[in-house]
Amino acid sequence: MGSGMSSNAIRGPDSETALRVKALESLLLEKGLIETAAIDELIELFENRLGPWNGAKVVARAWTDPDYKTRLLQDGTAAIAEMGFEAVQGEEMVVVENTADVHNIVVCTLCSCFPWATLGLPPVWYKSAPYRARTASDPRGVLREFGTEISEDTKVRVWDSNAELRYMVLPERPAGTERLDETALAELVTRDSMIGVSKVARPD
Amino acid sequence: MRTVDLEVVRGLYKKAGAARLKLDIAPRFKPGDRVKARNINPPGHTRLPRYVRGREGVVERDHGVFHLPDARVAGQDDRPQHIYSVRFSAQELWDAEAPSEDSLNIDLWDDYLDSA
Amino acid sequence: MNGVHDMGGMHGLGVIVREEDEPVFHEEWEGRMLALAHAMMAGFCFKLDEFRHAMERIEPSHYLRSSYYERWLEGTITLLLEKGVITQKEFDARLDDLAGRKG
Repeated sequence: MGSGMSSNAIRGPDSETALRVKALESLLLEKGLIETAAIDELIELFENRLGPWNGAKVVARAWTDPDYKTRLLQDGTAAIAEMGFEAVQGEEMVVVENTADVHNIVVCTLCSCFPWATLGLPPVWYKSAPYRARTASDPRGVLREFGTEISEDTKVRVWDSNAELRYMVLPERPAGTERLDETALAELVTRDSMIGVSKVARPD
Repeated sequence: MRTVDLEVVRGLYKKAGAARLKLDIAPRFKPGDRVKARNINPPGHTRLPRYVRGREGVVERDHGVFHLPDARVAGQDDRPQHIYSVRFSAQELWDAEAPSEDSLNIDLWDDYLDSA
Repeated sequence: MNGVHDMGGMHGLGVIVREEDEPVFHEEWEGRMLALAHAMMAGFCFKLDEFRHAMERIEPSHYLRSSYYERWLEGTITLLLEKGVITQKEFDARLDDLAGRKG
């Protein structure tokens, strides 16, 4: 595989990579190790049922219910379970709060650990080498690349998620949202704000 | 191995937090303790990245007991032990000129740590 | 292991490229690959830690050039071969078959 690999070989249904996956699946089916319905169910779960809209509901609840926020910061796994989403086995959740004094940002330097149940599958940039490399050592530089300026008086805290604990940021509630209810607030919350690379913008 | 069918798959997404082990194992450290990540270079699997090895930090939170990935991949006993969120200052890890209050937290197993 | 996967603090890896309205999967095979690897772990064929290590063992220059799900494919094949679930010979034969090549 030469330098053309990244452009041609991984693109399209008949690419060599797609064929290798197909070969693997057909062997596992033939050996009775998997059923197609189970594979389809997993794809459906990851493509359509797990996503950042779940995390956004958690954030909106925490913004509007102080007791929930306390529970969420103390035991993220239990507080998120209260919301009744489909869980992902093995995911223990830790939620860290952004304030005027502290800005949190999440990375996985060793692979690409991510809170799937609350944020869905990670975007390509989160899994990319430059993000994994530089968020640890130069978080303020990475934040600037995302257009997020953090003042010098604000502490930046990086969370390298290398174990079975998964991290989610509770972003700051923007000003001008006092009249919004939980549902409207959830619509403001972006995936990136829960990774900590951006803030939640004020509504227009 | 069993056939992975719909029932198996649906069972996977019902319960979070299954990685934590309900074992009564004493922690070696407590929040507030100063610790130093061991400078080890195992050729096999480890979740101790190079950039924290030999660096000093503070235990912030005890996450409870989990298996040790290094041991599991080596085909040994799972060596269940505590994981702690350990906080390192950016100055200790990267650069004496880094903002003094900036820091990085990483989850480290008992076997990765010594008292500092 | 001291591999290229241990990226914290590395320099020279370029800018962070973002995509507007990124789909969950860019190619159909990515979703199938994710599901197959999950199924192998659900069926106790291999453990998550072994899977991570199998991906760490990908040859470094190949690791850096591969996409996330390409690494999942390589890691899964490595473990299934090592554990004797499939053989290289049957995999190659099936691949040739699907590609319409003569084995």
